Amino acid sequence: MTYKKMDKKLDNDFWKTKNLSLTIGEVSIGKPKQELDEPMGPTPKPSVTDLRSWDFKLLKRYPPFYAPFCDMCCLCTYGKCDLLGKKGACGIDAEAQQARTVLLASCIGTAAHAGHGRHMLHHVIKEKGKDFPIDMGKNIDIEAPIIRTIIGKKPVTVSDLDESLSYVEEQLSHLLSACHTGQEGNALDFESKALHAGMMDDLAREVADITQIVAYDMPRGDGDEPLVELGLGTVDKDKPVVLCIGHNVAPGAEILDYVEDNDLYEDVEICGICCTAIDITRYNQAAKVIGPLSKQMKFIRSGVSDVIVVDEQCVRTDVLEEAKRNGAVVIATTDKMCLGLSDMTKEDPELIINELVNGKIDGALILEPKKVGKVAVEVAKKIAKRRESLKCLPDISEIPEIAKECTECGWCVRVCPNNRPIMDAVTSAAKGDLKKLADLYEYDMCYTCGRCEEECERNLPLVSFITKAGDHFVKNQKFKMRAGRGPVQDVEIRKVGGPIVLGDIPGVVAFVGCSNFPNGGIEIAKMAEELLKRSYIVVATGCSAMSIGEYVDEDGLTLYEKYEGIFDASGLANIGSCVSNAHISGACIKIANIFAKKPLSGNFEEVADYILNRVGTCGVAWGAFSQKAAAIAAGVNRWGIPAVLGPHSSKYRRLYLGRIDKEEMWDLNDLRTGETVKGEPAPEHLLYAAETMEEALVSTVKMCIRPNDTPKGRQLKLSNYIDLYKKYFGELPPDLELFVRTERDIPITHKKEVMDDLTSKNWTPREAPKEPSLLERK
Amino acid sequence: MDGDRTTPWQPTVIAGPKHGMLVTPAIAKMMLKKAKNPLFVIGPLIKDDDGLISLCKNIVEAWNLPVVATGNIYKSLTENGIKSKRYGTIEIVNLLKDPEWKGINSEGQHDLVLFIGVTYYLASQGLSSLKHFAPHLKTVTLCKYFHSNADASFPNMSDSEWTNYLEKMSKI
Repeated sequence: MTYKKMDKKLDNDFWKTKNLSLTIGEVSIGKPKQELDEPMGPTPKPSVTDLRSWDFKLLKRYPPFYAPFCDMCCLCTYGKCDLLGKKGACGIDAEAQQARTVLLASCIGTAAHAGHGRHMLHHVIKEKGKDFPIDMGKNIDIEAPIIRTIIGKKPVTVSDLDESLSYVEEQLSHLLSACHTGQEGNALDFESKALHAGMMDDLAREVADITQIVAYDMPRGDGDEPLVELGLGTVDKDKPVVLCIGHNVAPGAEILDYVEDNDLYEDVEICGICCTAIDITRYNQAAKVIGPLSKQMKFIRSGVSDVIVVDEQCVRTDVLEEAKRNGAVVIATTDKMCLGLSDMTKEDPELIINELVNGKIDGALILEPKKVGKVAVEVAKKIAKRRESLKCLPDISEIPEIAKECTECGWCVRVCPNNRPIMDAVTSAAKGDLKKLADLYEYDMCYTCGRCEEECERNLPLVSFITKAGDHFVKNQKFKMRAGRGPVQDVEIRKVGGPIVLGDIPGVVAFVGCSNFPNGGIEIAKMAEELLKRSYIVVATGCSAMSIGEYVDEDGLTLYEKYEGIFDASGLANIGSCVSNAHISGACIKIANIFAKKPLSGNFEEVADYILNRVGTCGVAWGAFSQKAAAIAAGVNRWGIPAVLGPHSSKYRRLYLGRIDKEEMWDLNDLRTGETVKGEPAPEHLLYAAETMEEALVSTVKMCIRPNDTPKGRQLKLSNYIDLYKKYFGELPPDLELFVRTERDIPITHKKEVMDDLTSKNWTPREAPKEPSLLERK
Repeated sequence: MDGDRTTPWQPTVIAGPKHGMLVTPAIAKMMLKKAKNPLFVIGPLIKDDDGLISLCKNIVEAWNLPVVATGNIYKSLTENGIKSKRYGTIEIVNLLKDPEWKGINSEGQHDLVLFIGVTYYLASQGLSSLKHFAPHLKTVTLCKYFHSNADASFPNMSDSEWTNYLEKMSKI
């Protein structure tokens, strides 16, 4: 077996003297030019309020919708304060308090990505030097569209990324401080700040992913990245197994380096869960992807991993407790998550290995990635044999006996975030039928949060039941997913920018975010499949990208095997991990720059306005649950990209909703004529939570409609909207008169029935704006 | 199941000092009688249960209620003879918040909204939104589960008791 192994040594080209840079402190001699060959726009490094006017334009069109978790504010010692119809002791009302909570969540999410980026940047500068070049490959000239637009500079070396990250950190301080008691008091201003936090998040993610791409020589936007192995069945349980969980690739990369350097590929299994899984396979395809976040408890409980290496974000905080149940070892690797473990960073690796193997310590905190590589692999090798019998799961034949202890109190269902029929599954198991338990396992119908177990009055190991029954049925499942490709190449944008803007490609749909899916990961795969068949460009990242890979058709093929990884019509591009989401905003920015020649430097408003009105794209975060997802959504929203979320996302407490019944909300400026013209609800919402997959899919295709569509493009988009609406709701959409501007917009296949519908509503044609915009003509 | 009636079905949705009132069909019907412009919101949880859809149809016809279908239940309601308008749960809640909204029959904002079959946690959030920002209307849930964010709710109960409650609702 051969693996794609990236060169991790310093590239010889680095030492070529053409652009040699000598840096002394802040003074740089002969440093490559950072400035871009375009005029600087109005808002380089915008402050918290510099883009407030843009935010208020968005918020006027899409007023915030609040759904409070709680009637009270519990943040300070004035309170608790009851905000139901009242103000708090500090003067805050319920709307402002909800908006403050959203800002807080966005700051947390942004801090997670920025902290990750900072760790990555420090590590890379330490390992490769400040002047390690940013080389995104020959097909990418716009290496960092977000940095170019917001900072107004072209990053040339990794140290240039430091400026962007320092700016993010500064802005984050201001934003977080606004959450303090007695500061901001207006909901819309809190929202503006949340959007600013989201934009900082976008910037931080771009820094983080560019850093890891250049440092670890990850793919630079190739659409034909190879397929990697996905699924629990891909791991050979008879070998020592090291499991990596989290989002920071550094420790995982060192583990893979150690395996390679010591020729251990055939002797040790290296696998991952969550974004780290995607990133280690971007680095080295010898690694295996267990699956999304929802596989975490299942896989740990299965006892297969000998060593669990956790880095940062989305790791179960009880991972040490869970690992101890079956004698596995935990290695924590970042300051974000120390788990109470002894800091062994400065100790001799042999001593750490010895203490872990002999059980003197349950785990270790090791903040040096290279040391993690050796310790993790050597410990796994040494304890794997003795752990063969250390399986804490009940034997499958024992489950019916233990299940008979269930008192049918029903609280397992009531505390389940998704009201899964756990009690039914257990009572069936008591009668010897394990199928319902297995059903909960498949497609992550149960994402094994473990709340049912916490509540069970008989302390039944419910997650273990599900894991064992499911594992029994699906243990041989092996899937293929395409390795994360990173950014969209400039050459691809040149090809599809026009068709996207003009509507010849019906839309770009990005499936992103966590795996808190309302009805299992299969829904996200089905939505992706429907859109791929309809020639949408589908991109995916993170846990959503993994869940898409777990669905196979009747021929046993995944969507990654059936569709190319290109950024083009009917392409399914796995962009990468959560931080790679920056490349999705980046692709939209590139369209504005490459296709429409919009300058980027310091020119946020014009670029975002262009995207909102012309780039038919929509995000889908079907299972979003974390603060990072909140920040990502705020980030894309500020760029003018709408998103459809799953029903759980109502728990983010805030959405941005348009009103189709308020015509005045949709007025546009036609920059060509300088006139204000009647617009249309395109996109209808900026952030919307759907209840079911069907509703989400119809909303998504509808939210790809843009004012700039040509008649041909509008026909194509309406054709998909009508088809899907009829498929799921049985009739024509009720709002076609809003989207049909002239008869030329009507899809030919639906011409008669649409015309009949329009006639019954006294529809009259209207002019489409030539240059639709929310901005004033200059 | 234990006999608990008024702890929210998902107990963690408890939101604060104001707790929804438990209602029987008799009280819910009194609220309906007093209402000038009621609305019935039906969600997708009853989509595959013809018996429940039939019970809802009886309620709709008995009280001549305008109906909103959320999620993906619109087609099922149409096929079962219930005329409705389709909105997402979030969309209809957003409209109900606005005192100036003209209502689904253009007869002005509704003053009483009955809910059934909306995904529990989503309904809870929507009801919270209406509790805070729609003082002009009352909310009643006819689900099998107690909703503390509603102004009034049926209690947690068994299927047979729920069926009995819904049958009573269709008798004026």
